[in-house]
Amino acid sequence: MLYLSQVIGRPVRDNLGESIGKVADLIVAVGDRYPPVTGLVVNNNGREIFLHWQAVTSLDAGGATLGNMAIDISRFRQRPDEIRLKRDLMDKQIVDIDGRKVVRVNDLRLDEVEGALHLVAVDVGASGVLRRLGIEGQWRTIAHGFRREVPERYIDWEDVDPVERSIASVKLRVPHKGLAELHPADLATIIDQLSRSDRVGVIASLDDEAAADAIGEMEPETQVEVLEDLEPERAADILEEMDPDEAADLVADLSDESRVEILGLMEKEEADEVQELMTYGEYTAGGIMTTEFVAVPATLTAAQTIDRLRDLEPDAETIYYVYVTDSDERLVGVLSLRDLIVSKPEKVISTFMYDEPVALRTDASQEEVTEVVARYNLLAVPVVDAEGRLEGIVTVDDAMDTLLPQPSKRRLPRLFNRDAGAAER
Amino acid sequence: MKKRTFALTPRAATRLRFAAILGVLGPGLVSGFADNDAGGITTYSLAGARFGYDLLWVLLASQIVLFFTQEVGARLGLATGQGLAGLVRERYGVRWAAFMVSTMLIANLGSIVAEFAGCAVALGLLNVPIVVSEILAATVVVLLLTRGSYRRVQYLFVAVGIGVSLAYFVSAVLAHPDWGLAASSLVVPRLSSDSLYWIAVVATVGTTITPWGQAFIQSYVADKRLGPEDLIGERLDVGLGALLTNVIALFIVVASAAAVYAVGIKVDPNSPEAVKHIAGALTPLAGQGATYLFAIGLLAASFLGLGVVPLTSAYAACEAFGWETGVDWRLREAPAFYGLMIFFVAFAALFVLIPGLPLIQVMFFAQVGNALLLPFVLVFVMLLSSQKDLMGPLVSGRFLLTVGWIGTALLVVLSVILVATSVLGL
Repeated sequence: MLYLSQVIGRPVRDNLGESIGKVADLIVAVGDRYPPVTGLVVNNNGREIFLHWQAVTSLDAGGATLGNMAIDISRFRQRPDEIRLKRDLMDKQIVDIDGRKVVRVNDLRLDEVEGALHLVAVDVGASGVLRRLGIEGQWRTIAHGFRREVPERYIDWEDVDPVERSIASVKLRVPHKGLAELHPADLATIIDQLSRSDRVGVIASLDDEAAADAIGEMEPETQVEVLEDLEPERAADILEEMDPDEAADLVADLSDESRVEILGLMEKEEADEVQELMTYGEYTAGGIMTTEFVAVPATLTAAQTIDRLRDLEPDAETIYYVYVTDSDERLVGVLSLRDLIVSKPEKVISTFMYDEPVALRTDASQEEVTEVVARYNLLAVPVVDAEGRLEGIVTVDDAMDTLLPQPSKRRLPRLFNRDAGAAER
Repeated sequence: MKKRTFALTPRAATRLRFAAILGVLGPGLVSGFADNDAGGITTYSLAGARFGYDLLWVLLASQIVLFFTQEVGARLGLATGQGLAGLVRERYGVRWAAFMVSTMLIANLGSIVAEFAGCAVALGLLNVPIVVSEILAATVVVLLLTRGSYRRVQYLFVAVGIGVSLAYFVSAVLAHPDWGLAASSLVVPRLSSDSLYWIAVVATVGTTITPWGQAFIQSYVADKRLGPEDLIGERLDVGLGALLTNVIALFIVVASAAAVYAVGIKVDPNSPEAVKHIAGALTPLAGQGATYLFAIGLLAASFLGLGVVPLTSAYAACEAFGWETGVDWRLREAPAFYGLMIFFVAFAALFVLIPGLPLIQVMFFAQVGNALLLPFVLVFVMLLSSQKDLMGPLVSGRFLLTVGWIGTALLVVLSVILVATSVLGL
């Protein structure tokens, strides 16, 4: 076990014991589970010499010793999958995927794995800071006197995701794979802790769907910032992946300029849906509804309806209810998933659907929506226009959002927002 | 595959931020306003009451330097999206970060002590016993900061602050100051062999340009998620903040000079009478009520500072050591952050309770301490702002860099003079 801080600044000697400089940095190749050390950077009177790891016979807290091969000081080019531990990682911020938070690298732990030195963990505990300050031993003695432990905390390299900026000079292909596996809410929390440029970097590494889910979990104000910082094409792609009701809320908050640009870049169908949703008041059933629901004609059989569900599932916000509409898209009935499954497959749905569905008008207030959902114990309530045409549904979680205190919904005027800055330029 | 369930999805938690607490004012404005905290009002009052218009040139000079240091701080925040302590950590490693943060924390602790001394003096003028006033102030501050409700009440403090500034303005006009002398003193430096004069010079600089102010502006700008495109707006904001501080400070000095110094009262910061004397600057306006008006103003100023300095301190320490793990406004999730904040407040409140402490002098010397420690922080600011790979297009140009280094050098020279004259007795 070796810490990076223990080798930095230590002497580098050749096979005759002659000092040729000091250890300036170590280079590792990322990609593997534990990145192997591939090179040594030596500081020779202020000049940096790059050595291939094969030239190094030993490295420990006493320094590095080189083998007897001729030192090739031809400039060692850093490859795209290589990072310098001290310059690129030490003291930088990283995402602790396991703990789902942003932390700072206090030290890096190296270990022999299968005969080669590998980067195995990141030290983010107090002991790392103390070691760097050179007072770890003294502190431990004092802490021991008080019968306290010095907290040690390591993150396995596998659970680490470097924050973009810290490795800006290196285009890594590997990182952020772990991030995409986080729950969108956790990802949103992490992204919220990053600076603006880092956020864009992390979002850039996610696919559209993961990005859409994460953005959906952010505070409205953050959503707008993130979206406006992205390339408009990318923002449009992400918005297409979001639920139309969320997308509409978000688009409504964008500056006029970005809104027009981003809507123009979206697929026409999605853009139309978003624009339609934006015409409803923010605090009405129309404003909070989603247009992604399952509607089928009354003439289908139970089996056909289930087939239809299979096709539609990825897009619909809920499949627990299937709405039945006539040729004019008017809501005539509703089926629960349970009704469908327990009925005989060949039965026509009009014979067993519930034909007096509870529905709300698009201009119904949020409070009415919540009340109806609660009174009838619904998972979703359909929303219809003045002619009774089915326009969308409000799911129970969207309806319940109104019950939660939402201080961030209250928009505060900003003295110096982006628009003002742009106008001055 | 979408994993959507009907479970209520938790909204992304609010994280620890200045923006959430301090709300809507521009970073430069908040910073400028908070500059006129308890230490500021006391120092400016003392300067005017003791030395008349003589120190006005220091005021103008330090406000100009303030603009440039705040501008650099804001630019660092805009370019990097990071706070000062975090940047020093990333660029210069743990040791330098620990050094800078501890320097700053010592200065800040002095400032917080000064704010509590301000509370004690203000409430003392209203006949509240010091023990009661300190416990009250500490409790209120901790509650406001930890409950995140500072935003709502900051308007009150700002409003009172504006009211008191107006009071000084009116009082200055009513006291019939020598405007010509004041104007010339503003631009013509005056030297003196009086060591108290030089201490007052340093204190005036130290209350205007502060280590916490430097950390504050940068973190606030970064936290507000402002970016390089906000440069013009931020410069305007910082300029406005510096100008505002300057005008208010100017009228405090002029009112004190005209109403106290000119009538022949010689204020000794050491004496218990000092408070009554410096409150006398408001006599032309409020007559017998001057003391109460001064007390209210000082109290509001203390709270204005208390809303900013403990927060900035805890934030800087957490940033440097990677404790910024608090993502929720709950105590147990960000123990280091809240622990530090509460420690600063409790330490300062208890410190002020030391019997027989000359409170006015404590406030005054906290500013001197700030000035002495300031160069250590400014050097990092200047170094960071000149790094092209960090700052990108916002890197300091030759002009700004020269001005910044000259300002920093002047501060060092001033500190050396002060240490040489007062400590070594040269």
